[in-house]
Amino acid sequence: MNDHDDILIRCHELTKHYRRGDRTVTPLQALDLLVSRGEYLALMGPSGSGKTTLLNLVAGIDSPSEGKLEVCGQDLTQLSRGRLARWRAHHVGYIFQLYHLVPVLTAFENVELPLLLDDLSRRERRERVESTLALVGLDDRMHHFPRELSGGQEQRVAIARALVGSPELLVADEPTGDLDREAADAVLGLLRSLSREYGKTIVMVTHDPRAAQAADRILHLEKGRLLEQEGA
Amino acid sequence: MFAKGLRLMLLAAKQLVRHKVRTVLTLCGVASGMFLYTAVQTMQHSLDKATRMRAADTTLVVYRENRFCPETSRLPEFYEEEIRRIPGVREVIPIKVTVNNCGASLDVITFRGVPQNRLARYAPEIKIVDGAYEKWLTRDDGALVGKQLATRRGLQPGDAFEAAGVRVVVCGIIDSPLPQDNSVAYVHLAFLQQASRHGLGVVTQFNVRVNASEDLNPVAAAIDARFRSETDPTITQPEKAFLAQTAGELIDLIGFTRWIGLGAVLAVLGLIGNAVLLVVRGRVCENAVLQTVGFPGTAVGFVVLCEGVLLGLFGSGIGAGLATAFLVWRPFTFGNEGQTIALVPDASLFVNGVGLALLLGMLASLWPAWVAMRKPIVESLRT
Ligand SMILES: Nc1ncnc2c1ncn2[C@@H]1O[C@H](COP(=O)(O)OP(=O)(O)OP(=O)(O)O)[C@@H](O)[C@H]1O
Ligand SMILES: [Mg+2]
Repeated sequence: MNDHDDILIRCHELTKHYRRGDRTVTPLQALDLLVSRGEYLALMGPSGSGKTTLLNLVAGIDSPSEGKLEVCGQDLTQLSRGRLARWRAHHVGYIFQLYHLVPVLTAFENVELPLLLDDLSRRERRERVESTLALVGLDDRMHHFPRELSGGQEQRVAIARALVGSPELLVADEPTGDLDREAADAVLGLLRSLSREYGKTIVMVTHDPRAAQAADRILHLEKGRLLEQEGA
Repeated sequence: MFAKGLRLMLLAAKQLVRHKVRTVLTLCGVASGMFLYTAVQTMQHSLDKATRMRAADTTLVVYRENRFCPETSRLPEFYEEEIRRIPGVREVIPIKVTVNNCGASLDVITFRGVPQNRLARYAPEIKIVDGAYEKWLTRDDGALVGKQLATRRGLQPGDAFEAAGVRVVVCGIIDSPLPQDNSVAYVHLAFLQQASRHGLGVVTQFNVRVNASEDLNPVAAAIDARFRSETDPTITQPEKAFLAQTAGELIDLIGFTRWIGLGAVLAVLGLIGNAVLLVVRGRVCENAVLQTVGFPGTAVGFVVLCEGVLLGLFGSGIGAGLATAFLVWRPFTFGNEGQTIALVPDASLFVNGVGLALLLGMLASLWPAWVAMRKPIVESLRT
């Protein structure tokens, strides 16, 4: 029973097909996966093995073709598009390889986005955005536009945006893939402290074995199936 | 709900304001279209006001039969007393009309010579906004100038001006609810008769006020019957029908501008639609990110819709505002055969223009908004 409560992500025979013309691609094939609450998981695997696909399903921005998928106690296949969107705002933060900040919005405004449709006052929103930006060490860059920030700073703004809705789960798709060594280390350090100090559950896709070493567990995906390997 | 909508609208506004060049170009286009549209609407509206009969109309115009120009319509002044005796007639005034240009023109100056001591009784609705009525009464070459004509020519009390060989001195500026009065100059009848080669005793037309609008047709018929066998038979019509008839070519011309207005509307629709569609095309990934962080598709669509609406709103505000300001600053008067139709801008036209553009903006961005909200997130993120 306790064991049941400690599971944040539950995939059972999870399958995803994409139709491309008259060909069907199956990036995920009957995948079983359990991720505990507070766990820091690294996903590795060759290009095209379905890592991003799995992340997208877990983050609720894509829907499985077959199988069961439960995240934060919610069966995602049961939610309508609109409710799924609101679920995402509070249960999962997505960190992209290319940051994907909105270029015409400042760091502050980018981080504020997930809160925009909540019933929070302007002041409550401001406090949360400011404290989240302080958490990623960017309280002095609040009113800068993305073009005025370095790649590493942009990625930290993106992490703040993922965090601001206080989700239990963070998913990151090659978050250091576009950064130099130093900036990558800063981002990895931040993710590690989010896991250790704030108890966030993290699923991170990476090609970098060094980055994966930070995780509690490393999983290898190969042609849509998992090969497990214990982490450091 | 309302607060959230407002926040999304603010987001749309930021998108517009922070893509300055693109937004300014689109606004210029929308403003040009709406400038044209408002100008055309003002023409249509002014024409309609001048020629369409209303229930409260009580004015008849008595003209020489088969004549259409003030130069050729000549009636004996003594008809006045005959007309006054016809039952249903409340008031009658003989008018001598002299114009500087009998053909179709944009700058017509019309003098109306009337018995000076009777103008106030015949047209109590005329108000003096500047100068003095008494001065006009006593000054032979005095003129009461309609406010539109005064603005157009830059006239003030005390100024002298000359047109159509008639030189007058402005004694007062008048304002009347009847647009016709605002674009003419009232002078003494005898003065105008002497200035023209027809001489005393000859007038161009009689304006007749009847007791009630039901009396218009019977009184008109009675007047024409009375003079049928005279050397100068008459044709009597309600003032607006008279205008519609004598200014027929002008009306056709202005009627045609309706299509220009429609063209302007379609251009604005296309322009906003194109601008918003390009915006959406360029923001595929950005919109997918908004959805990833918790925006429902409807919220993303709403932001796009707001951008179209804001473009329409501000573009038309600028365009319609400039058109209205321009027509106030530079009033135009269309004239043909001595009849004038003043282009009078109207606050309701401005409001209608802005309202229409708001609707156009919404209409034009419906499809782009739909595109933005329906595209699957993962597909958009891969672009
Ligand atoms: N929306 C889609 N439509 C069609 N095919 C897709 C779609 N998304 C993914 N695929 C296919 O599914 C397979 C797995 O893709 P996925 O992006 O999950 O791989 P990945 O492991 O993240 O690879 P990489 O390391 O290169 O990012 C690929 O063959 C890809 O072409
Ligand atoms: Mg990938």
